[in-house]
Amino acid sequence: MDILIYGTVNSIALALMALGFALVYGISRVPNFAHGALYVITGFIAWSLLRGLGLNYLLSIVLAIIAIGVVGALIYQFVLIRVRGMAISEIIASYAIGLAILEGLRWGGFKGTTYTLPVFIEGSINIGDIPVDLHRLLVIAIGIAVVAFLWLFTHYTRIGLALRGMAQDERAALMLGIDSDIMAVVAMASGAMLAGLAGIVLLPLGNIVVEKGYDVLIQAIAVCIVGGLGSWMGAVLAAFLIGFAQILTVVYLGTHFQMVVALLAIILTLILRPSGLFGMQKELEERV
Amino acid sequence: MLEATGLMVFYENMLALNNVSIKCEDKQIVGVFGANSAGKSTLMYTISGIMEDIRKKEDMAGGERITVLGQVRFLGRDITDLKPSKRAREGIVLCPERRRIFPECSVMENLRIGAYLATSSQAKDTLEYVFKVYPPLERLQKRVGGFLSGGEQQMLAVGRALMAQPKLLLMDEPLLGLSPRIQSMLVRSTKEIRDEKGISIIVTEQYARPVLPIVDYAFILENGAAVLEGPRDEVLDNPDVRSAYFGVS
Ligand SMILES: Nc1ncnc2c1ncn2[C@@H]1O[C@H](COP(=O)(O)OP(=O)(O)O)[C@@H](O)[C@H]1O
Ligand SMILES: [Mg+2]
Repeated sequence: MDILIYGTVNSIALALMALGFALVYGISRVPNFAHGALYVITGFIAWSLLRGLGLNYLLSIVLAIIAIGVVGALIYQFVLIRVRGMAISEIIASYAIGLAILEGLRWGGFKGTTYTLPVFIEGSINIGDIPVDLHRLLVIAIGIAVVAFLWLFTHYTRIGLALRGMAQDERAALMLGIDSDIMAVVAMASGAMLAGLAGIVLLPLGNIVVEKGYDVLIQAIAVCIVGGLGSWMGAVLAAFLIGFAQILTVVYLGTHFQMVVALLAIILTLILRPSGLFGMQKELEERV
Repeated sequence: MLEATGLMVFYENMLALNNVSIKCEDKQIVGVFGANSAGKSTLMYTISGIMEDIRKKEDMAGGERITVLGQVRFLGRDITDLKPSKRAREGIVLCPERRRIFPECSVMENLRIGAYLATSSQAKDTLEYVFKVYPPLERLQKRVGGFLSGGEQQMLAVGRALMAQPKLLLMDEPLLGLSPRIQSMLVRSTKEIRDEKGISIIVTEQYARPVLPIVDYAFILENGAAVLEGPRDEVLDNPDVRSAYFGVS
């Protein structure tokens, strides 16, 4: 029973961490290696607004997420746009930005256990005889809400449909008047906001520390590779696969195996099924 | 309405379009005929601005060096420097070779993505019109694009292009690989679209015969050069053309 509950929480947490990465990659084929840094820095921004300026918690969260969206758009507009189409340069450039953000935070003195965001709701309830704190239940609800929102957005709005068109065939989208540069900025801003939202929702479960940035990046990449790069629904399913595998190893082997599961998942997927569970080998098809 | 002059396109040192000038008057259907690799798609990409996007991407990735020269004027305006999304906004919409349907989207979603530039009332009216011209699409609304037959995909590709509210519709080899029955249906509908919507159309084909009846003016492309042009009947009567493109001698 506890495996079921904590497995679900962990899976949804992974899905939240990965969705932003999957969205950006799916639409503009940019692997955003600054993803983890965006996750962490949003926590710090919210913390600064809340503790430093003394703003109300909800307002701090909203402002932090908007700020990170702007940061994402700026990163695309001023850096990534110059290296579009060169996968290695995209990875190096975005990773460098991530590194600069994270190590900049470390250098600025943001380390240790002083930085925490409050949980959204205090308290816990018992499910059966297992105590679960309410914030973890809220994580489940928010995760489901985010997936539902993304689904509705990409199926029923003009921009959302255009983003899907771009993801499937950029050139065909161009012919219909969809501007690929604007869409890539929108994708990058939304991806950053998703990373930020994940940070805001998940960071209250622990301390805000720089190292989380690297962990989150690896977990997000693991989920996206297993799910098939560019497939969001694949990412959600992969999050459950890896999420439960992690909880099972934690229960039966020990906590430090959690990262090993993520890395093992990447390696196994690359060996057995490089396109992931739901990946599409589009590029191959196009060459035929 | 469209006037492209002196178009030259090089892929590295290979000359794919050699000083091609082509024109399309208001509400005309213009045919561009040429064998495989004569440069038809290159011409369509150059007019729609996609060539500029291909060039930019190759340039960024350090791939092929593509050079594009010449001028494109549309509705009296020089649009040579406009990017493809802007040209679509001006009214030039390309329905590409091999259709390029969004494979994971349903028929309806493909059409709605096509309506990106349309107002909601335009989208509603055009959707109705598309279903009138291509009734099978209405039945297939929920079918995923990738699972359609070639003919259905072609109807969807034209329908999707219409949703973008074109003034000039470019059709690159719309009949490629389709059965004669579907070909003649598509040819008929193309004329219908011009007659009813007043949309000008440039259509390319390898074989002129199926489309020639609806074409007002024709160009013959050979190895990247426009070797012959004229009103349909004139081109039809040219003995060289007859043997090369109609299989009659
Ligand atoms: N991206 C490209 N790189 C290099 N050569 C190309 C490229 N696209 C087309 N070509 C060449 O340009 C010529 C014209 O091609 P294309 O415009 O596709 O002709 P068509 O559509 O009439 O078959 C062909 O010789 C083709 O091989
Ligand atoms: Mg072609």
